[in-house]
Amino acid sequence: MNIERETLEMDVLLVGAGPANLSCALHLTNLVAQHNEKAKADGGRQLHELNIAVIEKAAEIGAHQLSGAVLDPISLRELLPDFEKDAPFEAPVGDEKVYFLTASGKIPAPILPPPLRNHGNYVISLNKFVRWLGDKCEAAGVNIFPEFPGWEMLYDNNAVIGVRTGDKGIDKNGKPKAVFEPGVDIVAKVTVLGEGVRGSLTKQLLKQLKLDAGKDPQVYSVGVKELWEMPDDRFPAGSIIHTMGWPLDSHTFGGSWVYGMKDRIINIGLAVGLDYRDPKIDPHHEFQKFKTHPLFAELLQGGKMIRYGAKAMPVGGWYTMPKPTHDGVMIIGDSAATLNGERLKGIHTAIKAGMLAAETILEALLADDYSDKILSRYETRLKESYVGKELYQTRNFHQAFDKGRNMGLMIAGISTLTGGRLPTRLPIKAGHEHMQHQQANGADRYADLKYDDKLTFAKLTDVYYSSTAHDEDQPCHLHVLDTNICIDRCTKEFGNPCQHFCPASVYEMVEDKESRKLHINFSNCVHCKTCDIMDPYQIINWVPPEGGGGPNYRNM
Amino acid sequence: MNIVVCLKQVPKKDSILRIAADQKWIDDRDISYEMSEADAYALEEALRQREKHGSGEVIVLALGPERVRQSIKEALAKGADRAIHLHDDIFNSATDAAGVARALAAALKDEKFDLVFTGLQSDDYGFAQVGLILAETLGLSSATIVMEVQPEGDSVRVKRELESGWFQWVKIPMPALLTIQSGINQLRYATLKGIMAAKKKELKEVKAADLGLTAQALQPAQVIEKAYLPIKSKQTEIIAGKPAEAAAKLVEKLKFDARVL
Repeated sequence: MNIERETLEMDVLLVGAGPANLSCALHLTNLVAQHNEKAKADGGRQLHELNIAVIEKAAEIGAHQLSGAVLDPISLRELLPDFEKDAPFEAPVGDEKVYFLTASGKIPAPILPPPLRNHGNYVISLNKFVRWLGDKCEAAGVNIFPEFPGWEMLYDNNAVIGVRTGDKGIDKNGKPKAVFEPGVDIVAKVTVLGEGVRGSLTKQLLKQLKLDAGKDPQVYSVGVKELWEMPDDRFPAGSIIHTMGWPLDSHTFGGSWVYGMKDRIINIGLAVGLDYRDPKIDPHHEFQKFKTHPLFAELLQGGKMIRYGAKAMPVGGWYTMPKPTHDGVMIIGDSAATLNGERLKGIHTAIKAGMLAAETILEALLADDYSDKILSRYETRLKESYVGKELYQTRNFHQAFDKGRNMGLMIAGISTLTGGRLPTRLPIKAGHEHMQHQQANGADRYADLKYDDKLTFAKLTDVYYSSTAHDEDQPCHLHVLDTNICIDRCTKEFGNPCQHFCPASVYEMVEDKESRKLHINFSNCVHCKTCDIMDPYQIINWVPPEGGGGPNYRNM
Repeated sequence: MNIVVCLKQVPKKDSILRIAADQKWIDDRDISYEMSEADAYALEEALRQREKHGSGEVIVLALGPERVRQSIKEALAKGADRAIHLHDDIFNSATDAAGVARALAAALKDEKFDLVFTGLQSDDYGFAQVGLILAETLGLSSATIVMEVQPEGDSVRVKRELESGWFQWVKIPMPALLTIQSGINQLRYATLKGIMAAKKKELKEVKAADLGLTAQALQPAQVIEKAYLPIKSKQTEIIAGKPAEAAAKLVEKLKFDARVL
């Protein structure tokens, strides 16, 4: 198909409207304004008004943003010093509890572990927060384009010159429809990838330029959560509970959160490490089981589940961070693993990363040099900042859990006391490599799990509450590179774990008399990226569907 | 050819709806909104007519709170030339079709147009009345459930959808108001350049006072008493006794209680 494409020229192009990129765009407009004011006074060189574009695959800003979340305001205070005036926060963190759960009991932590102390932080809805940041960006003149996913990187030799956006109006057989609208080549002096976890362009870029050479493989967790509307104020806004332990087995990393939000909403979720051993593990089912613990069954009694969502997060930290810059391009936020896996916080680090990227871009604009010579200053800035400091201190945290929870807790404890120092650098392998072959007659992990539609919900019911929608007449956006593996090797070795790890019932093995094959219900996809991460053969490639498709995480 | 398109913003189709505490309507706190589907087709038809005609403008008219700007901007990005947004707390009094139509009519008093398009009906209330009342108020000829539009000189031929796969062609004089059926055309996508260009287009905000309207003038003639989810009324009764007696009782119940025999 020979397609004529339009080209759009920008100064700076940011892919993904999340906290990292929106902070970068907003900070850059502020820095340029400050620079020009100063230049005007000193008679120096002023920069022309910048054309900044942010493209986003979701139908509206924030629709694909999912996090706990508790925000450490350290970086936001730098970006917007008077944020408390109008930030749409739920509440300052109030009562905090940490428990180690057993099947029917709870053991309170003797002291609040330092990484989980949240005094001075805020319970927020990431969706509301990002919509608010998006409004600030638009008011500052930033162009935000929802419904435009980045499809592929554009290079000139090995220098990045921009991004091609996804085509629109292609039918399920790959043929253009009457309203076909080809993707546009957006060329920019600097392209910033802040796509979030396991970004599809970041994946292309790392491979093309080998920016992750010599780094530890990234490791991930997937968070599954629900919002509940309660009839009373039993769990006030700002209250938080964190737990470890049950129902996760000792080879599965993870833990839960319960946060009180405004208007009697409880936000409850479970993060499950995507480096578990048993191929039958199902993060959605673990979460449902978790809610049946007496502590939570009682807490949620009489409430009504109103929303569901799931999203992966990169927890590998310091040693897994790729080289974040190259000629014409920078990678920031979760895409570049700036999340602190020990504190399970990535929003404040993403904001700071965005701001430091903006400072570097300003230098590049002033020097009119967009090569790695200038852009690489970002990495130095990041590592020397408080973000670098906290990531360095927790550099061995997830690695400690590579051998299971008990060993992990011990090593992580030592590491906290020594500021991250351990006698030796811990080895780590990619999460999917931990998955073990299925037991011939292994017990059903979830035999006891019943869905009563009050406390516990079947996966498809939950998916309905994610408000996910895709145009059905488009090619499947989950590329399985070799489906023969699914029906043969994977069935024998792992029992098709895609059916279990996907929290949205996208993957289904369908059997009839003659054959058994993989059926992909792509329109259920909540864009969490778990399949791309956890598939044991690494043959699933997640690419963005037509712009606008996906979940709608309003107020999540 | 100047065409006015009336746009309404409604809750997104995949929204999870909850009844508001006052039981008058839905709880709108965590709802996303979009252009009502039939209105999106009306806009598309207007853009296609203008393109076919080669001149004139497409004017978007919408009533509602701040959030409605998002749908207006989308219409401008797709190619509408300018927009009028009736945005004022006083317009909140217009809660029924007649009130909305009165406000829209007032806004169109000084506009020059050949056609006015509305969607056949909105995806939320589904009254299908605003268009017709607007036509009557402005003294325009009108046609409903329109599937094809062919302007011919001073009049317009339209294909209307009837029941059971029947269609009807009618010819009415312009200016005219047409209520457009979903599926009349295929919706285009907004392009990046369209979105950029939309920023420079005129988006006029109009207050009720600018139109000489008061809350009193927009008072609804019809109000929603109560919004509720359908009540499930399944009932199971076990008839005891010997089979023959139970069967006789069952027949009696089917005859006189359920009245299905």
